[in-house]
Amino acid sequence: MIHSKQIQRQKLVLVVDDQEINRDALGVILEDDYEIIYAEDGAQALAAIESNVDRLSVVLLDLMMPVMDGFEVLKRVNADEHLNHIPVIVLTAEKNAELKALQMGASDFITKPFDVPEVIIARVARIIELSEGRQLISAAEHDRLTMLYSRNFFFEYAHRLFHYTPGLRLDAVVMNIEQFHTINAVNGRDFGDDVIRVIGAEIRAFLSESHGIATRFEGDRFAFYCAPQDDYQALLDRIQGKVNGISPNVSVHLRMGVKPWQEGTDPTFLFDCARAACNMARGDYQNPLKIYDEDMRKRELLNQRLLNDLRSAVEERQLTVYYQPKYDIQCDPPRLSSAEALIRWNHPELGMISPCDFVPLFEGNGLISVVDSYVWQEAAQQIVRWRDKYGIKLPVSVNLSRADVFDPTLVDRLARIIEENGLDFKDMKLEITESAYTENAGELLETVRDLRQLGFEIEMDDFGSGYSSLNMLSGMPLDVLKMDMKFVRNIESSATDMRLVKLILDIARYLKLRVVAEGVETAGQLNLLKDADCDLVQGYYFSRPLPAEAFEALIEREMNVERG
Amino acid sequence: MTLKELYEIIGGDYDQALRVLRVEKLMDKHIRKLTKGGVVEQLIAAGEAMDPAQMFDAAHASKGMCGNLGLKKLSDLASEIAEEVRPGNPRTMTDGQVREKLDEIAALYRRAVDGVRQYEQN
Repeated sequence: MIHSKQIQRQKLVLVVDDQEINRDALGVILEDDYEIIYAEDGAQALAAIESNVDRLSVVLLDLMMPVMDGFEVLKRVNADEHLNHIPVIVLTAEKNAELKALQMGASDFITKPFDVPEVIIARVARIIELSEGRQLISAAEHDRLTMLYSRNFFFEYAHRLFHYTPGLRLDAVVMNIEQFHTINAVNGRDFGDDVIRVIGAEIRAFLSESHGIATRFEGDRFAFYCAPQDDYQALLDRIQGKVNGISPNVSVHLRMGVKPWQEGTDPTFLFDCARAACNMARGDYQNPLKIYDEDMRKRELLNQRLLNDLRSAVEERQLTVYYQPKYDIQCDPPRLSSAEALIRWNHPELGMISPCDFVPLFEGNGLISVVDSYVWQEAAQQIVRWRDKYGIKLPVSVNLSRADVFDPTLVDRLARIIEENGLDFKDMKLEITESAYTENAGELLETVRDLRQLGFEIEMDDFGSGYSSLNMLSGMPLDVLKMDMKFVRNIESSATDMRLVKLILDIARYLKLRVVAEGVETAGQLNLLKDADCDLVQGYYFSRPLPAEAFEALIEREMNVERG
Repeated sequence: MTLKELYEIIGGDYDQALRVLRVEKLMDKHIRKLTKGGVVEQLIAAGEAMDPAQMFDAAHASKGMCGNLGLKKLSDLASEIAEEVRPGNPRTMTDGQVREKLDEIAALYRRAVDGVRQYEQN
């Protein structure tokens, strides 16, 4: 068994007295139980307190001393918030001085001469015990990094404010750091702690000017219950500004959700709403502030319903896979080259639900893997059906989400699907969104290399929509770049956009990657891309995403062209 | 001469000193310091000059030191002087009475110092 004495350092006691005989008398009484340091006057005492602030358990302080007397030491210690947690016991032979010292913040007094050592030992032990108890409560009450309240105390105090001061209007605010785990992983825990500290300090500064209380919990989540603000964007900008000053090399983005005060609504509900608003702002770097409103409430209810209904959607096959063709435009006429599998949800009560409404939701909580698995399985079976029906091999691309990429069983799961359906690895292409490459890149690269080694082709989806760098691109195990549709949108009217597209095509050629241009809608766009030697295009010009049966018309047309 | 014998010679309370300082080694260390000059001599000097501020500081310090050493009579006399000249206290003695007290202190102090010197020689 490990005893507490093995874990704890010996407690440190400072004895302050100008008389050596008094220092010796106390030293000999206390030396068996404590480590003791000495000071001969008030100035020395203050220096010793400041340099041992984290270790000192108690100060035994004479009152009448040269240079600086004990009363002045008491005054300064109590006025300093970094020192005033250290208990001070005054040493005196005078009744009047006892009362004055206690009124100035002394914890107790010891009467001179020190002729009853047992009393001194007991008093010192009791004061240390009381002080440690107080510090334990304080440590539980406050977050160590930010000195904001800990979660339980914060919600207890928020409820007290709500119940005891019903006229007080306070808004609920929740704030988060985007991708905090990645910031920690890439820049180290110390950097992450600095970010937390800076945010905590700025929140405390804000609350010193306004009414309110605040907490930090779950690592990077802050909440404050504060007087209503006219401009929450200004508050977010203020805190973001401080965070921006930490390092010029690391971008840290904050998001904030606010639920304004509502008569009779308790803090638990207000903070649930503020948290929902903050979650809505996840990843939205352009609009990181969300004020909870009725639309958001409806959205939240819808999200909850979609989450609840996902299982039955899979079981009852409400999820349908649509296929959008990709055409090789260097052939004349362009040839159907492959397809991308895209999920649709035909809800029995809500009707057709856009993937924009449920894919980000499921990505946020990992359920996207359920959807993705469904699509992979469906797509694999469809490839087989078309092969059997038309005698062709039409490769289909499927999406891998972030959650899939970091799933250690991914490679086996995909390999099993290929094997069970009697396919080649080339029959199914894997699209991984660009943003996944910037997170935990080492782990992702390893997975992608394993997949390529099996024979899968890897396509980087949405290239150019995020923050990928050319440097990163050169080291990627990739086969195809899917150029984000925003590059293609204006190439007919903007020479700059066209130049940018050509530049991407040049880079891809240099890296021996094929390029799929997404979002092609007009013949003009098609011709410009063809002239620029783009390999493949995908977009409404050729076809919107279609159910498998409707897609077959495209296959049949293609076969007629070949025969014709 | 033992420490206990010294205390008998100088009229000190050996047991009281031992209660405060716990070990003879510390009693020995501090009783020897009486001969090196110190707060009692400062008090006597301040009394000759009748400087109340210095008298108070020295008397206060002497009271504590002598009390710790079990020199009760010296400690009590120093305490009387300290209260007499404490800033803000009304005077209750004449200067002549104060001098008498200081003479008493000086005599007790000399007796103690002589005793300590004999103790050191032994």
